[in-house]
This record gives sequence, C-alpha cells and structure tokens, in this order.
Amino acid sequence: MPLPFPRLLGAVLVLSVAGCAAGDTDGGDGPPASVAGSSDGHGAVAGAAEVSEPPLGLTTVDPSGTVTHLDLLDESTTEIGTVGAPSAMTTDGRYLFVQTDAGVEVVDSGRWTWDHVDHFHYYRAEPREVGAVSGDGPATIATTNSSTTSGTGVYFAGSGEAVLLDTAALSAGDLVERFRLGTAPHDGMVVPVGSFALVTAAGADGTAGTVRGFTADGDPTGLEEPCTAASGTITTRVGAVVGCADGALLASVVDDELTVERIPYPAGTTAAPATAFANREGRPTVAALAGPEGADGVWLLDTRERSWTLLPAPGPLVAVSAVDDEDEHVVALATDGRVLVMDGNDGTLLAATEPLVAASLDAGLTPTLATDQQRTYLSGPVEQQLHEIDVADDARVARSFTTDTEPLFTASTGR
Amino acid sequence: MRRTRLLALPAALLAASALTACDVGSADGPLIVVSTNILGDVVENVVGDQAEVLTLMRPDADPHSFEVSAQEAARMRSADLVVSNGLGLEEGLQQHLDAAVDDGVTAFVAGDEIEVLEYAEGDAAGAPDPHFWTDPARVLDVLDALEPALAEVEGIDADRLADDVAAYRASVAGLETEMAEAFAAVPADRRALVTNHHVFGYLADRFDFDVVGAVIPGGTTLAAPSASDLSDLVEAVEDTGVPAVFAESSSPDRLVQALASEADVQVEVVELYTESLTAADGGAPDYLTMMRVNTQRIASALS
Repeated sequence: MPLPFPRLLGAVLVLSVAGCAAGDTDGGDGPPASVAGSSDGHGAVAGAAEVSEPPLGLTTVDPSGTVTHLDLLDESTTEIGTVGAPSAMTTDGRYLFVQTDAGVEVVDSGRWTWDHVDHFHYYRAEPREVGAVSGDGPATIATTNSSTTSGTGVYFAGSGEAVLLDTAALSAGDLVERFRLGTAPHDGMVVPVGSFALVTAAGADGTAGTVRGFTADGDPTGLEEPCTAASGTITTRVGAVVGCADGALLASVVDDELTVERIPYPAGTTAAPATAFANREGRPTVAALAGPEGADGVWLLDTRERSWTLLPAPGPLVAVSAVDDEDEHVVALATDGRVLVMDGNDGTLLAATEPLVAASLDAGLTPTLATDQQRTYLSGPVEQQLHEIDVADDARVARSFTTDTEPLFTASTGR
Repeated sequence: MRRTRLLALPAALLAASALTACDVGSADGPLIVVSTNILGDVVENVVGDQAEVLTLMRPDADPHSFEVSAQEAARMRSADLVVSNGLGLEEGLQQHLDAAVDDGVTAFVAGDEIEVLEYAEGDAAGAPDPHFWTDPARVLDVLDALEPALAEVEGIDADRLADDVAAYRASVAGLETEMAEAFAAVPADRRALVTNHHVFGYLADRFDFDVVGAVIPGGTTLAAPSASDLSDLVEAVEDTGVPAVFAESSSPDRLVQALASEADVQVEVVELYTESLTAADGGAPDYLTMMRVNTQRIASALS
C-alpha cells in the first residue's frame, strides 16, 4: 500500500508543532500533564514504590518540633524532620500540617494509600519537609481522601486569608497555592471538594454563617448556602461534610458542577449539633460529640444514607470516631483516659481499656484517637506512649510503644 | 510485590519520545499509543513493525494511577490511533484520552467491545469491572474489533495485519484451551478463589469459579493477632474448603503461621499477577505468560 507522503507529512508537521508547544507549556487548555510525571517522565508515581499492604505508621511531633515516624510494620523509628514549636496539627493520613510561628508547616510522611473504591493501592516514598504556608492566627485545615489530587484548605482566623493548596503539587514536594482569598476574619474554613472548594463567610454576628463555592482558580461558582455557626468538616468517599447548627451540608461534584445537599437533624432534636467529625479514613459514617464531653450523646452521620443517629454516651467523652466496620463499632476516649468500644447501632458499651492517658488529659492535652478497620491508635503525650488497641477483641491493647520524647501531636499515617 | 524498577528505561523512552514529537523528519510511520501495558503487548503482537507502538504504562505499574509526561500527552494527540482499556480503569489518564479525541485522534476502547460484568459486592457493587483480560475469550472479542480499527490506520497493510492477528488469535485461543484444561483438574468443591485481589471476576465467570472476597490481615494485625482478626478469612476458607488463598501480602509466612496458631487453619498463601505486566526479567513480561503463570498457580494450589 503506497503511502500518501505529501499529505501525511503536512499533517505530521502541524501536529508536531502543537505537540512541542503543549510540551513546553504543560498543556495550555487543560490541567497540567501531571506534576509527578512531567518532571522526569517515568510512570507510576515519581519517587514512590508501590507496596502490598498499607504502610501504616504513627508520625509524631514533639514540643521542640522534631518529627518522628514509627513504622507499625517493622517497629522501627526514624526522625524525618524538624518544624517550629507546634501549637496544633492536622493530618490527612499522609501529610502533617503543623501550626508554628512560621504559619502552617507541611511535612510529608511519605506513606499513603490510594482509594480506588473497588480496591486500594499503597505507596511509600522518602519523607520530606515541604515548606510553610504563611498566615496569621490559628489555622483550620481541611483535607480530602486523596493525598495526590484535589486541594487542601487552609483558613487563617487572624488574617481572614482563605488558601487552597494544590495537593498534587504537595505530593511532588512543592507548595503551590491555587488561590488565596481575603475574607472578613472569622472562625472559618476552606473545604476542598474535587476541583472546587467551599469557603465560609461571616454572618452578622461574626461567626461563619454561609458557605460559598469557588473554583480552584478562586473564581466564585455562584453557589451560596446558609450554614449557621459552620463548624467542623470531614471528607468521606461520598462527599465533603460541613457542620451547621441545623444539620450538615454534604458537598460533591456532580457532572463537573459543585453541588451541596443539606442533611437536617431529625425533627424535634434538642441535642447540641456536631462541631467536629472523625471517622475511619474515607468511610461514609462519621461520628461527633453532641455537646461538651458528649453531654447530649454521640452523633453518627451516615453520608451515604443521608441520615443522623443519636447514640447515648456511656459517660463523659473527649473524642469519638466511627470505625464503620461490619459490626458498626464506634470508639471513644473517655475523660478518665479509657478507650471505649461502643455498638454504633444503639450505643451499648461493648468493651473498655484501662485508663491509658489520664495524666495527659489532666494536663489539658488531647490525645490522638485514630482508627482503621483492625486497630485503633491512642497517643499519650505525657505518658510518652503510643497504644494499639484491638477493638473487636474486647478492647485488648495489642501493642504499646514508648517514645523518646513527648508525642505532643500524633498523626496516623499510611492510610 | 510490585515496585517501580528500571527508572533508566523510562528516561530513555522520554528522550526518544520528546525527540520524535518535535522532530518532523523521524515521524515517518504510523503511531499507535496504548494506555496499559497488557493492551500494549496485545497491540504490539498484532501490528509487529508496521507501526510504532507507544505504551504509556510502564512495567510493574498501577493502571489506575500511572501518569504521563507532557511530551507523551502531546504524542497522544498526534497519534494515528489511541487504544485504551476503558470502563474507568485509566483514571489519571482519562483527561489526556479525552483531549486526544477532541483533537480528532481515532480512539479504540477495548471495554466497548466486550460483554461487561459488574462488580458483585463491596462499595463498587454495580460498577463495571474493567479487568476483562483475565478472560482470554474477551481478549478474542477485543481482537475481533481491533483488527478493523488498525486496518484503517494509514500505513498499515491490511493483509499483513490479518496474518498477524490470525496468528496471535490462535495463541490466545490456545491459552483459553490450556486454561480450561488446567482448571478441569480442580475438583468441583474447590472451585473458589478466596482472595483480596479484585481482578478475577472475568476469569471466574469464564471458568466457573466463585470469587470469595476476604479481608487479608496486614502487618499491624499480624504483629499481635487475635482470633477475631482472622475470622473473616477463616470463615471464607472454612466455607469454601479450599487449601489455598490468593492474596497479596507483605508477610505471607506470618499470615500462614497466624492462621495455623490462632485458628488451626492450614492454607497456602499464593500471589497472582493482576493489573500489570512485569519488566522483561520478571515473571509476567507479556500477556500470555502472565495468564499461564496465574493459571498454573491457581490450578496447582487448588488441586
């Protein structure tokens, strides 16, 4: 078959020029051709090795800012970086967002899980300090279930600056702000939702009263939803949750559009609203305390069913999280330092540990309570202990690790 | 365990592709860009040296999350044909596939040419299962549709193509026969794949196995296991009566020991190749080998 040379050559010439241009500008009319891939061109994820099971660890920050990683598979300990003296920490299961005098310092634990819904992939890479996001006052940080795509929201209550970080860039070691918007300072938040974000705005009383939709470029989408006393956010595999006085907003991207549903509290509810949520990474059901120390009980929000359930609290609580396993376990930290295992169907107390972190609670510190399908982890800063608890086996303490310094903040990483 | 090895090779490929994308003189034959390395192997087998085949997914990679360089994305948009798996497999790549189609590049989506199964259980229940290659009969269906698509590409000789497709078709048909014969040795009461692999739905459907999903305890669990940690897997093993489970585990020996000591269950833990070919020096460098190795491992573990 003879080749139609002149025509073919012409076509190739045009396309090749376009190809070069696209290569030079990283694709002008679409998202960049992947941050990880464009730098050195190799497949999978740059610099990362895929592993056969979750590379679980506990990454801690001590009062001096030393960041230490405990590998839960081989029980080794590695110092992975240093940040300023920490005042707070948030994690998405890979990065640690540590609040210091420098703003929000980001440390990459180099351990993460990629959720494909039908299955998971697990990765490990070199840990690194990514850099600091500048801003004034306490920061509220909101993450998604993905540590390699979408955004991470940072809101600085002092300066009112609302920042969306590019999470794909974080995974390549770069701190890139997709937008930084000025707002009237309030106790606000920036909630990433796919390639969009919700940003709270202050109402007449100075507290967060509405959420507004923005593109990743910082352009308003036109979406605006009332959300009185907006507080607390978490992302499940269904969508991003924002707590409001009268219920929760559930935000997701449908047909490339940012959409928000409202999940009201059950009619006649007198229990205090949820203002902070916790779950097993990605799972649809999330838990929250109703009122201080769970005085009104424990809220469970099933984001898939769009329903709230109020459980009785077995006693005064510091923290609560939903395991969302087959037995609907809920775990809680009691004010006396015990870890409680509850039945998520009716709140029945199924099992409890001995008091493990009473001294930390007495000192006014808040231990970390983090859960996966098989184990729950509890940090004791004052005790200098990290505990691994088998929820399904009568709250058995499976392993305890002693730390060299005070684990002031602890992130459960690799998930 | 999968790793991203052979870092030097992709760098060399990148250099080559960057040159080609910008150098008019070297682009003198047809270019076929293929997303996954399994389909890349299939396409290479049938086009031979009649076209350049650029496979985007490297050996030992993850089809869902591999990424392409800007240069590769540009080459896709100047390809004569882009071949992809479809059914949601190439998540990260989809934007580039769409961009190529928008630029007028002809696309061949393998998943459009087969009878699609849906996931039976779990959070993905009801969603299409993209892992059709575990059934060689479905690969034959893909070949049937791929041949006319390739024949349309300028510069590919249809007669030579027909010969090469026929030869590869015979190999895949032979694979199907081999698999059926090997699996025939598995007794009827052991035709179950207790697994945390999620890709064997099509194989099970073709060759009459049940896939029994099970939680395979990981390292943190096995460090200090209890009977309840193993109950899901033990239940699956006892319900099916199989002597082996097919699982990816970083510590298969520890899992075998824990099952024996905590639950008095004696099973073998066997790993299979799933979503990616290996490098040339690995155990599954091409599609036919990958399938033969898996078949041999399943048949001998269950027989």
